[in-house]
Formats: sequence, C-alpha cells, structure tokens
Amino acid sequence: MNVLPFLIIVPLMGAFSMPLSSLLGEKARSAWAVLVSALTLAVASKVFYDVWSTKQLLVYTLGDTTPLGKGVGFPIRILWEVDLFGALLALIVAFVAFMAIIYSLEYMKHDTGLEKYYTLITVLELGMLGIVITGDLFNFYVFLEIMSIASYALVAFRNDTWEGIEAGIKYMFVGSLASSFILLGIALLYGQYGTLTMSYLAVKIGQNPTFVGKAALGFFIGGLLFKSGAVPVHMWLADAHPAAPSSISAMLSGLVIKVGGIYALTRIAFSIYGTSINIKTVGWIIILFGCATLIVGNAMAVIQTDMKRLFAFSSVGQIGYILLGIGIGLAAYGTKVGDIALAGAVYHIVNHALMKALLFLVAGAVLHQIGTKNLNELSGLAKRMPFTSFAFLIGAAAIIGLPPLNGFASKWLIYESSALFNPFLAAVAVIGTAFCTAAYIRVLFTFFGRPSEVVDNAEEPGKAMMLPMLVLIVAIILMGLFPWQINDKIMLPTVDMLKDQLHYVAAVIGGA
Amino acid sequence: MNHRSVRSDMGLIVKTTARATIPLIGIFGAYIVSHGHLTPGGGFQGGATIAGAGVLFLIAFGLEEAKKRYDHHAYSALESLGGLVFLGIAMLGLSVAFFYNMLWRKGIAFAGKPGTLLSAGYLPIMNLAVGLKVFAGLISAMMAISMYRRWKE
Repeated sequence: MNVLPFLIIVPLMGAFSMPLSSLLGEKARSAWAVLVSALTLAVASKVFYDVWSTKQLLVYTLGDTTPLGKGVGFPIRILWEVDLFGALLALIVAFVAFMAIIYSLEYMKHDTGLEKYYTLITVLELGMLGIVITGDLFNFYVFLEIMSIASYALVAFRNDTWEGIEAGIKYMFVGSLASSFILLGIALLYGQYGTLTMSYLAVKIGQNPTFVGKAALGFFIGGLLFKSGAVPVHMWLADAHPAAPSSISAMLSGLVIKVGGIYALTRIAFSIYGTSINIKTVGWIIILFGCATLIVGNAMAVIQTDMKRLFAFSSVGQIGYILLGIGIGLAAYGTKVGDIALAGAVYHIVNHALMKALLFLVAGAVLHQIGTKNLNELSGLAKRMPFTSFAFLIGAAAIIGLPPLNGFASKWLIYESSALFNPFLAAVAVIGTAFCTAAYIRVLFTFFGRPSEVVDNAEEPGKAMMLPMLVLIVAIILMGLFPWQINDKIMLPTVDMLKDQLHYVAAVIGGA
Repeated sequence: MNHRSVRSDMGLIVKTTARATIPLIGIFGAYIVSHGHLTPGGGFQGGATIAGAGVLFLIAFGLEEAKKRYDHHAYSALESLGGLVFLGIAMLGLSVAFFYNMLWRKGIAFAGKPGTLLSAGYLPIMNLAVGLKVFAGLISAMMAISMYRRWKE
C-alpha cells in the first residue's frame, strides 16, 4: 500500500482533531500532538526510504488511478510527484517539526490558547510537506499559502507584546506580496500553456519557450527570493524570526525559508524550465543574489545584540550559500562542477535545518530560563547552564563549518565548486564565513565570559527542552562523522534525480 | 471619565427586521451549501452566508445577547468535525486513491442522475462539511474579534 497520502492525511487529521483532543484536557492534547508528529515522521521516513532505495520517482494521482485524461495523452488531474530531493526535505521537515513539538511541551507551557498553537504548528508542517511532494503548480500554491498563513499567525502568537504583532503584520504584508508574485507567475503559465501539471508544463515550455513563459519565471524568482529571505528583500525575516516563539523560530529559520523558497525555486528552475531556457543567465542571476545575501546576512549578524536576531541574520547568510550553490548548479548545468555545487546546496539545506533548529532551541532555552535574549546581559552563562552552552557551541561550530561537524562537508562542497567555477565567488563565500565566525565567536565569548548578576540564578531547562537539543546535537555530530558517505549515498543521487528532467516528465506522461 | 452608558444592541426597528431576516439568510445559506455541486457557490460561500446571519444577530442584538448563545467549545468541536468529515470522505476511496470518488463511481450513495440534488457522490457531503467548518470558524472569529478588542469606546 502506498503510504504517500498519509504524509498529508496524518498531519491534517491531527490538526483538525487538535481542538477536540484539547477538550479531553491538556495532557491528552500534548500526547496527541507528539503522537501525530511522530507518526508523520514515520511516514516521511518510509517515503524517503522507498524513493531512496528504488531511485524511482513516486507519482500519486489524486482521485483516480492515472493522471492522464480519458482518451487524451496529457495529465488533467492533480498529482503528487516525489523525487529524492522532495523526499529528503519531507524527512527533514518531519524530523525538525517533531523536535519542535516536543520542545514546545515545556517551552510553551505558560502560554494560553495552546490548542491553536498545536493546530497551527501541525498545519505549518502539513503545508511544507505538501510543497515538497506536489507535482502540480496550483497545488503547490495552495500548500505554500497554507504554510505561509500558519507562519504569519504563529509569528504573532505571543500577542502580549507589540513585537510579535508588528512582526506578524509585516511578515504578512511581505509574504502576501511574494505570494501574489508567485500566483501571477502561475497564472501567466496557465494562460500561455493551458496546464498546471509541472511535468507537462516542462514539455510545453520545451516545445515553445515564449516570452510570457520567461516572464513567469521572473515572477517566480522574485516571489521565491522574497520567501527565502534573499538580500534585497530580507528585512521581514530579521523581524519575524526573532519575534516568534523559539520553537517556531526553529521551524521558520530551519525549514520554512528553504521549503517555501529554495526548494520551490530549485524545482521550478530544474524540473519545469530546465534546459529549455537560457539556464546560464538564470544561474548567474541567482548567484548574484546569493553573493549579496551571504555577505550582507553574515555581516549584519556580527553587529546584533539580540541573540535571536543574530541567528535570524545568520540564516539570511546561510541562505546565501545555498543560493550560491544552486546558482552554480544552474550556470554550470551538466558539468561536474555544477553537480558538486548542487550537492553542496542540497546538503547545506539539510545541515542548516538541523543546526539552525538547534541554535534557536538554545536561544529559546536561554529566553525561557533567564527571560532575556540581549547578549549584553548574558555574560557567563556557561557556568550556570553548561548543557545549553555546549549545545550552542556545537551549533555554532557546525554553522561556521568546523571539520568534525556536519556543516563542514556542505560548505566545503560549495567552496570547492565555486572555486572551480569562478574563484571570485569562492573569495566571496570565504569572506561571508569570516563574518559568520566573528558573529558566533562574539556569542561564544559572552557565554563563557565573566558571570553577570542576571545569570546568577539561572538553571538548566527541563527534560522536554533538553531532549530535542540532545537529539539535534547527536544528529549533527553523527552526520559530521560520515560526511562523504552521506554525500555519495544521498546527496549525489538527489542531484542526479533533480537534474533528470526527462525522467521527471516521463514518470507522469509515460512516454505517451 | 465618560459615564455614557454603552448600548451594544440596536433599536427596535433593526431588531424586528433582524428577527425576520435571520432565518431567511440561514435558509438561503443552507440552499447554497446543499446545491454546491449544481449551482455557483458551495460550502465556503454558503457557510459564510450563514455566518452572515450570525453577524446580523451580533450587530442587532448586541454582544451580551450573542455571548449567551455562543459556546466556544461547541463551535470549536463543530469546526473540527467539519474538517474531519471532509478528510474522512476524502479517505473513503483510499483503496484506489486519495480523493477517489467512491460513492459516485461505485454507485453507493448520491449516485443519481447528474444535475439532480442527490448526485455527484462525495461532493455534497464535502460541501456540507466545508459549510459547517466555515460557519463555525467565521462565527468564532467574529466573536473573538468583538470580545477581545483592545481599544475602548
């Protein structure tokens, strides 16, 4: 039996029944939230394993057995199409969401309206899972909006201060603008080619790449760079991610900007457009945005005094690396360099999801136990909260790219490929890392410095908050121990499947 | 200090008119929901129309009166029920595919001649579920907005 639909059914049922379960009491609701996310993780693992072991695209038609219409050779139904890239991201989404939900059990205990919180966090997870499995452009848009609207509401969840509400409204305006760009792109493609199925659009664009089709790509790139927080349009991210509760920040920074931005951009660029347009130009456009993003994001991180804001700017910087990798992958399409860059980008998406989730969980633990995230007041935290500080150390070292941790391999692949592609880009990437190092060393010195009065009575958080951090630390170290094995076994096959546009099309249309 | 008594309800004329029109709005909404698969409109539009009757009630009779008739838990449960019914109906044909219209294809229920009320398989049930969800959700949202507003008169 095909488990793919359960990737949507389980979280959807969990979200709908969350208010019912909270009628049975707080304990039942917490247990239900954990159970639902654990089940989702199990389903996502199964889907990932299926796709990974067979290296075959998983195509699932909604409402019928075949996507093709009666007596016609083209798909007319909504379909889901999962390749290894989508399955990998589904796994990471389910994993980090599971961690965030366990963490919330304690972190959000003192808040009210928690049935809405758990409903929204499950809906957020659902939206992201939908984006990574869909093979239909409008279905993609629907899931994108599900994800975005859940995250607007979650950013403004703590409405006792104006910070959250202001950030939520700002996020909503910018996000809606970005969504309307994407919708306009979809509308242009539909008007021009008369289909919304991604693989059939790829055929149509390949036959007749019109100006309207290229303009649609422009709208997609614009809207998705907005959503991923690339530099000229990153201002919402620096407000929205710090203002959200930390478990949500972990999901927003670790997952939402990648799934809703980078993944979609990659899918559209490779699977829909592919080589039927001037792929080199598109690649260079993304490279330029990536370079600007990684310099500005990391440099802005250095001067922040608010810990979560620092992490948010650091996320902007890391998005820059991923964009750089994807840009080189497009510009050097079909060469070894392009493959390495793309593998590095995919690898970094996974790694950054883990490390940024860990860092935000650390920030949340500090905020929860001490009540401030201002770095000037947190001096000497390591004496009172050794585990939390250790978790931070691991996360920071991983994000800088120190060798025994997971960030090393992915950053190395990106440096290597950019040096081979164009040495100037490698220089830019290294400068970005220098800024990134400076930013995290600052926090590290604060944590290990002379104790201030604020932290005198600080204590470690409870088990429900420590456990997710511990799991993430273990994951980061384990992934760091086998970097090239992971690269060869998972990332390179992912890249191969991602680039194989012909296969992506044939899996749906079936050679007809 | 302003001691002006704040009346949240409206005058007799409005109330009388509301009494007459609220049932009609409700019936019209129910019509839109139940004919969702035949005519323009459907679950969302019909649910929103029925919720419009609730808005009229709130405006005409005031927040105090509306609070007496509003049970948060019940509406929350109704909304969940709407969602779960929708999902359950979509899962009916899971042996073939998610969202497979088992009722219509296999002629189990709602399998009448196309264009009649009892046709289209799962669509009428889904419309009812969506209508229920939208109605309960909009009423809850409206009550929340009127109860928890931060500015004062």
